[in-house]
Amino acid sequence: MNYFERLPEGCILEILSHTTPVDAVRSCILSRGFKSALESEIIWERFLPSDYQEIIERSEFSPSVCTTKKELYFRLCESPILLDGGKLSFSLDKHSGKKCFMVAPRELIISWGDNLNHWQWKPHPDSRFSEVASLSSVRRLDIRGKIGTKMLSPKTDYSAYLVYKLVDNPYGLESANAIVRFVDYESDTDTENQANTVKLETLPESRRNGGYLQFKNGKFASMRADGWMEVKMGDFNSKKGGDGPVEARLIEIKRLHLKGGLIVEGIEFRPK
Amino acid sequence: MASSTTGEKKILTLKGGDNEEFILEESLVLQSELLKNMVKEERVSSIPLPSIKSKTLVKIIEYLKKHAELTPSNKEEFKNFEKEFVNVVLEELLDITVAVNYLKINGLLEFCCQAVADRIKDKSVEAVRKIFRIESDFTPEEESEFRKETPEAFEGDLDDTTN
Repeated sequence: MNYFERLPEGCILEILSHTTPVDAVRSCILSRGFKSALESEIIWERFLPSDYQEIIERSEFSPSVCTTKKELYFRLCESPILLDGGKLSFSLDKHSGKKCFMVAPRELIISWGDNLNHWQWKPHPDSRFSEVASLSSVRRLDIRGKIGTKMLSPKTDYSAYLVYKLVDNPYGLESANAIVRFVDYESDTDTENQANTVKLETLPESRRNGGYLQFKNGKFASMRADGWMEVKMGDFNSKKGGDGPVEARLIEIKRLHLKGGLIVEGIEFRPK
Repeated sequence: MASSTTGEKKILTLKGGDNEEFILEESLVLQSELLKNMVKEERVSSIPLPSIKSKTLVKIIEYLKKHAELTPSNKEEFKNFEKEFVNVVLEELLDITVAVNYLKINGLLEFCCQAVADRIKDKSVEAVRKIFRIESDFTPEEESEFRKETPEAFEGDLDDTTN
């Protein structure tokens, strides 16, 4: 006899809502009974972040276009929504249902960012935001993006990523340093020394099979499904959200050669 | 103000499905919403629980005792106890879950449900079917259609072990 038949319905729903969304989707195939249990609004409401309604209220997205919580869940996984008039985008991680945010370029602190000789601001057809930051030429490359740990899913390992593109002939961007720090109790200067080297270029095709995916203390960039590139800036844990803001920073301020050809889409914070 | 209540602890008898009796302090069973209401409203001193096997009841009483002794300093020890508590064969775990659901011991119910859920997590469909003895009532065509619709749910290293 099917073990689940011994359980009351409430128990089954409770159990299934303690799996992950991806387990739940897979479990639909177990039998017709499971498939109909997994249509339950209760389960998908649990998979959505507890504050999803408040978050959606900060956007122009109308949740009524989704007739079920399950539909809403997948809508939020598949297409990010813009919050606070486009300062931030929000989506869900498909596997875990945890919160992902991308800070728009205008909300980043970019040194020389307001000087048109160095950085230009313009719309980009692939961007989710109204403008991207395009680097024409600079010696001091310094880009920071911040988010409150309170906004993130609690007790979760997160990573921060720089999301960007390179123009056809970028220069001076072979490598840079990246740091993630808790602003309230980790100083800028202390963390600068702990920075990781990152390569803004993807690993050349010719070396991809050579087991060269990671070089000492750093990572190469990779291509994203949305047409942008990304490089991991660092990891942190959101804990209970009491650690104040966390900042991800990309710098190359020691080697002052000219750098150019970077188009910044934003800094993304998503579960590791 | 210094009056001692140790001499007047109320005693309660729980009767398991096979008529085995368990005598325990009334304060312990107050963790169960169901028993709490029975004790408070009906002032009973013996409660029959015919649907719960004695073996299951022993386990639950063991949990209630440990939980009552929980203090900030033995938190770690309690966590280990909880881990061991659900480290039993599936049939036993489900017996406990059903009983705890009936008795309405909320914290433990959530913990048991998580433990059952952990036996589904990251497992392949075939493994979950075997573990929970589920027979598919889908046609192979329906099944392959479904796999095509949500390929991401079937990707990656899924666990095929059934223990």
